[in-house]
Amino acid sequence: MNFDAKPFLLFSNFDNGLLHWLRVFGGFAGVIFAATVLISLGIYGVSGPVAVMGRVRQGLHDFLNLSPKRIWAIAWLTIIEAVRRKALLVFVVFAFLMMFAGWFLDSDLRADLQVKNAVSFALTTVSWLTIPVLLLLSCWGIPEDIRVRSLHTVVTKPVRRNEIVMGRILGFSTVAAGIVAMMGVVGYVWVLRQVPNNASLICRVPVYGTLEFLDNEGNISEKGINTGDIWEFRSYIEGGTKASAVYKFPIDTPADQIKLESRFEAFRTHKGRIGQSLLVRYVLVNPTKELRVPLDSFEIQEFNLNEQFIDRKISFYDEGNKDKRTVDLFDDIVDQNSLTIAVQCLDSGQYLGMSRPDFFIRLPDRSFAVGYFKAVFGIFLLTVFVISIGVTSSTFVKGPIATLLTFSVLLIGQGFREFMIKLITGVQKGGGPIESWYRLVTHMNDTLELPDNIGVKIMQGIDNVMLGGLWLMQHLIPDLSSFVMSPYVANGFDVPWSVAMLRSLAVTIGYLVPCLLVGYYSLTLRELEAK
Amino acid sequence: MIEQLTAQQRKLAYLIGMVVLMLPIIVLGMPATDEEGSGGKLARLRQEHDLGESTLGKVDPTSATMNLVLLGMRGVAVNLLRMQLDTQRDQKQWAQMRATTESVILLQPHYIQVWRYLGWNLAYNVSAEWDAVEDRYFWVKEGAKFFMQGAERNRLDPEVYWDTGNTLGKKIGRSDEWKQFRRFFKEDPDKDRYDGGPDSEINPDRKDNYLAAKDWFKKANDAEEKHEQHIMMDALFRSYPARSQLDYADALQREGQFDETTRKAWEDAYRDWVEDFGYMRFKTTDYPIFMEAPASESAMEQIIAASGKDRASIEREIDFYQNVCNYRFWRTKAHAEKQLNTTRMHSDLFEGEDLFKKGDIDAAQEVLETGLQRFKTMLETYVELGSDDITLEEGLWGIMLWQKIYQLKNQVQPEEFPLKGLWEKELNRVPNLQHDFNRKYGSS
Repeated sequence: MNFDAKPFLLFSNFDNGLLHWLRVFGGFAGVIFAATVLISLGIYGVSGPVAVMGRVRQGLHDFLNLSPKRIWAIAWLTIIEAVRRKALLVFVVFAFLMMFAGWFLDSDLRADLQVKNAVSFALTTVSWLTIPVLLLLSCWGIPEDIRVRSLHTVVTKPVRRNEIVMGRILGFSTVAAGIVAMMGVVGYVWVLRQVPNNASLICRVPVYGTLEFLDNEGNISEKGINTGDIWEFRSYIEGGTKASAVYKFPIDTPADQIKLESRFEAFRTHKGRIGQSLLVRYVLVNPTKELRVPLDSFEIQEFNLNEQFIDRKISFYDEGNKDKRTVDLFDDIVDQNSLTIAVQCLDSGQYLGMSRPDFFIRLPDRSFAVGYFKAVFGIFLLTVFVISIGVTSSTFVKGPIATLLTFSVLLIGQGFREFMIKLITGVQKGGGPIESWYRLVTHMNDTLELPDNIGVKIMQGIDNVMLGGLWLMQHLIPDLSSFVMSPYVANGFDVPWSVAMLRSLAVTIGYLVPCLLVGYYSLTLRELEAK
Repeated sequence: MIEQLTAQQRKLAYLIGMVVLMLPIIVLGMPATDEEGSGGKLARLRQEHDLGESTLGKVDPTSATMNLVLLGMRGVAVNLLRMQLDTQRDQKQWAQMRATTESVILLQPHYIQVWRYLGWNLAYNVSAEWDAVEDRYFWVKEGAKFFMQGAERNRLDPEVYWDTGNTLGKKIGRSDEWKQFRRFFKEDPDKDRYDGGPDSEINPDRKDNYLAAKDWFKKANDAEEKHEQHIMMDALFRSYPARSQLDYADALQREGQFDETTRKAWEDAYRDWVEDFGYMRFKTTDYPIFMEAPASESAMEQIIAASGKDRASIEREIDFYQNVCNYRFWRTKAHAEKQLNTTRMHSDLFEGEDLFKKGDIDAAQEVLETGLQRFKTMLETYVELGSDDITLEEGLWGIMLWQKIYQLKNQVQPEEFPLKGLWEKELNRVPNLQHDFNRKYGSS
């Protein structure tokens, strides 16, 4: 498990969440409106902006007078159409995969790894089967209606264009909900039957804190030591020194006992005692009272979760008073609803690596079904997002183009955003597309300087324009990684509300609203006779 | 003319055409059955040149299907998987990395270097990333199992067999954790799963790791009879089964076992080294030689006759190969070690140190003196061992223990002692060894 669970803060500041969305959405809408008014003024004179305002008024009227009955009628037609187009055949493929998947999953692995594989497989299968089917259906629905002219019979009825778009999205989403729910349940039963008897399906509820480091001298440091790992996810503290990793956990409800779990990594500079892992110690700290309570040391189990329990009443040897003392966890140690724990490595010359999500307070577990079905809901939300983009794009382009567009948004949102950001920020060496091509053809390494001439300047100028387009894309296409919740469940964790669920829900709704607007105006303004 | 035919006649003509065309296809491409010489021309050619999928090793239907489905995109898919593998390695996602390794191998089932690289990666690199010895052993096993799988799918190739033997032998028997690894090889740490016994996949016969390795090295030698290996010199490659037996006997001693089993192990090692490996023929540029040839006048005459070279040249050549394998040393060593006197000498020195550690210094002194005397006898018989570092250090260590006992007793050590000659001859080795000794037992 390497996910860094940073919470999604909806209202924390102006740059986050809802307010950011309002700013972007309002900005785009304003720019489009202003451009439309100006263009219409240039082409038609004063009557142009009047007509634009008329369309806006009509739009407002249409959105304020939505008829749920009509929307549901369109949705129902969409469901029937999806069934007629044999969308439900996807269940046959699903059944086939579930029947034989067990043959290809390694049953010799450790029990927890088998659980991980089984859960990942079930959830990945559900999403990989559902999303392509719904993507194709949503992208081809309206263009096909236009082609066979069945949309003409609908628009001549008292149905508003936004109701058509909403009905389509609702209909496909209902189909998606049915498919995902059915597959989710079957997948759940399959996982229960697939996992070995000695494996447990768990759903941990972690409370993560913040992390800061103290260096060898005991001074505050942003990071620990890098022991040479390419991956800088973890930072290391040196054993047998004042170095420690200080975690601060939010804690508000007193309990008789709290459970801590950690997943630290060891790095040895000498063999040490073979057969004995590194010794780690937790020190509970109250900075206000300057109280430090060392707990018993323990050997770490690397790449595994080490469980420790802290009782409310803790007895320890107070080195200051040279006496044994008992303190109360919540009365004496928790300070302003925050529990501070310093992690130390006791082996001299050895290093202990950690990152923020490596250490957490474990609340009572939830049922595995809770986490699993949250992940299934995440797949459903992603499908709704895809449907929204698919239906909207199908209102202004034909089926193949809409499919390509939606697929690209999905692909970039899930896997290529990081690469795109690296390109835009210049972290990725090799320049833009023209420069890369030039370097490929001339066998020029990306670390070599380009010659300083006019040709190169033109090339980089064109690249900059293209990268500007990419910058816009990067802001338009959302990060869809939060929708993929299976890693949480596969690693035995609950899907956190603020980190994954809220973020995914917000992205889905955040894109649904502009999609409805774009879809409505595209369908209103387009020529339905066009083939 | 075709236009004049009716539709039915045309169909008939097409059918006849198809049957006619089918005949050469059948003759050329008919698949082979289990019988030798069966199948079409292509199948027979495949058999003749060992190119058929089934002749290369066990066929994995998933792999064959994957490669068929990917068509020309196999290279791209492999590249993507290798990039994924690197990311997973960097991010220490070991379970996922193991799964990706399997996927790579599905696409490249007969690419020997891929098997060798990925197997080494599991057994050596991934295992070293883990802190607990049990976890490290798990990944060594994963590497060994991976090599075994590779050997099964590429049974004609000697290299993966050798890698399997090398992992079971050297990795398990010579790592820093060799004591634990060797024990785990017979009693897997996952006691629940293997019921206190070994992991049956890598040790089905409950053998010592070196003896298991020996079996795999023998398979490598068998495969090498037909197919060339590119790992090392032929003479070295072929010495590995016998070397494994030597390692086995040596490991028993390292573990402090000085009974008949150990002596028998050395006896077997001597037989393997001299009678098997010593008489194994190696092709030089144009004539075969063997390590024990100089011991047989008739053999030498045959070689001289076959090669057309003079005796001195042949002897130089054999000497060269013997030096490469350290042949003469191991022959002497094995011969010395199979003697009862040598076994007892090791036992005395080991027991003497053990008694010393327990504080029974009188008994330790007595046992050490006997051991040193036996050491002297051995050195007198096997002079060649007087240049072996490990042998010498064992003797010097025994002397240091013996001297330490005199210091502890506040007594002056006798002027004369069994290995005085060795001590004086090897004085230049003493400082380093004394440093290690002092770290372990304290300086005077």
